[in-house]
Amino acid sequence: MKVLWANIEDVWREAAARWTLIAYFLLSTVFIIIFASAINLDIVDGALAGAKLFGKEVEMHDQVSIEKLVLGFESGFSAVLYFLCTFLAIFATAHLVPRLQEKGTIDLYLSRPVSRTKLLLSRYVSGLLLAGANVLYLLGSIWLIVAWKTHVMHPRFLIAGGVILFVIATLLAFAFFVGVVTSSTAVSIMASCGMFFFSAMLAAHDRIAAAVSHEWQAAMIQTLYWIIPKTAELGAAVFAFVSGNAFGSRMPQMTATPFLTTAAFGAGSLLLAIWRFHKKEF
Amino acid sequence: MTDSLIEVRALRKEYRAGIGRPPITALDGIDFTVRAGELFGLLGPNGAGKTTTVKIILGLTAATNGVAFMGGRPVTDPESRRRAGYLPEGHKIPGYLTARQAMTIFGRMSGMSSNDIKERIPLLLESVRLPQWADVRVKKFSKGMTQRLGLACALIHRPNVLLLDEPTDGVDPVGRREIRDLLREEAKNGTAVLLNSHLLSEIELTCDRVAVLRNGKVAAAGTIDELTRRTEKYKMIAAPIDDSLLAMFRESGAGVERVNGHLVLSVNDLAHLNTLVDGLRARGGMLSELAPVRSTLEDVFVDLIKAPEAQP
Repeated sequence: MKVLWANIEDVWREAAARWTLIAYFLLSTVFIIIFASAINLDIVDGALAGAKLFGKEVEMHDQVSIEKLVLGFESGFSAVLYFLCTFLAIFATAHLVPRLQEKGTIDLYLSRPVSRTKLLLSRYVSGLLLAGANVLYLLGSIWLIVAWKTHVMHPRFLIAGGVILFVIATLLAFAFFVGVVTSSTAVSIMASCGMFFFSAMLAAHDRIAAAVSHEWQAAMIQTLYWIIPKTAELGAAVFAFVSGNAFGSRMPQMTATPFLTTAAFGAGSLLLAIWRFHKKEF
Repeated sequence: MTDSLIEVRALRKEYRAGIGRPPITALDGIDFTVRAGELFGLLGPNGAGKTTTVKIILGLTAATNGVAFMGGRPVTDPESRRRAGYLPEGHKIPGYLTARQAMTIFGRMSGMSSNDIKERIPLLLESVRLPQWADVRVKKFSKGMTQRLGLACALIHRPNVLLLDEPTDGVDPVGRREIRDLLREEAKNGTAVLLNSHLLSEIELTCDRVAVLRNGKVAAAGTIDELTRRTEKYKMIAAPIDDSLLAMFRESGAGVERVNGHLVLSVNDLAHLNTLVDGLRARGGMLSELAPVRSTLEDVFVDLIKAPEAQP
């Protein structure tokens, strides 16, 4: 536990000293302020009588249920926040392993009575806590603003943060593996972002497999789809979860498979990172 | 049961040089021990294997063959580092931390309680002459100050083994003396100190025993006294010294040089030396001083490094 505390303190102090923490939360705050000031609602007897978006009147044909409006807002914003939180987390934490592995630094950490597994996992948990704090800050603030302006509270919007954090945890594990192998922050960021988009692209794996000219290419596409994380499906899961499937007809049926395969990818990446870190000579 | 806190046996390390190339041998079966309360120096030219040895002892690198123990535990066990302090060469204590924060983090990583850390920090900062710098960020420190802070971080958890790589690098002469005194004090309290340095004068002034590495092998090992004594050369101050005495010495096969009013005798062995003393006394001469001529550690080091390597 002392090792974990030491690493948490180290990671947070580094984030604060290098402006990462400030930039991280400042960007989130800018997003929150824009959100808070952009929406102006006129609620009469629990129903929306009028609304302004970025100062412009929104045309209202009938009175809209405020419950439904909040659900729509939060569902839409959860999808935006899914991207925002994930990418901010990657940028804020991808340096954790490369900086640790710098000559003259790693010696100081590994000469302590701490196993390499413990050191790497403590670093991972510290990074995840940093990302988790930002997810909580972003989602919590927006949830509070919506609750303050509409008096409608949907706990599902907050809980969706768990799914976002799950994706961050998976990509952070991958960034750790790349960081251990390459000792490069830039490569860790590129690989994690690349993985996010490549995986989103493979959501259309069936159509891509049907379009390729060789059978082995189709098999490769299908295999890759099952191995790598399902960022598109999990983004859709966030939306579906927040909306409570109110827009079910427009969303594909959610199953546990994207969660399980993504978790397997994250666990596999972390295990590979630990294995490589153990083998590494400094 | 021995009181060895560091023990290295037949340690061998090979580095892969690339596909199709033979491996590079960094260590070729070295042995040594460092006992409790001993200041042990590891010497050698660049690439001799000094840093590799220290890294193996600390588990930073794995040995290809052989074994190493620290505090009685194999170095592959992280617990062997429970009471080990390390100051690496060119260490980078994160610049965003203050001295106090750095010592707290490394103290915690060594399993210390918060109260214990709080008690130790002012004492250690005092002993490395940085008490007023406790809450200043490390990035503002000079090289010498960073080095002294590194030593304080290495000592935070009261180690009984200290491994120091160039500890006086960048430190001013007064600071060097203080570091030497600090290391002697630690050794007096039972700490085994392994010092790795290019500064032979520092090693000579600090260490009890040294091992000289050359091409991954221990070329020589022993106390400073043993290594710097030239057993075949003696300084003799006696009276009277006349030409007939010198002729007698030379006839016995001894080399004789007059240096600043005394004689430097090169003899075959101790029996030969005693024969010369007997000859002097038989002539009524009075012996006032007879001492082995010592070389500096640097002389020994240069001779060892330049000497052709013995074939197996």
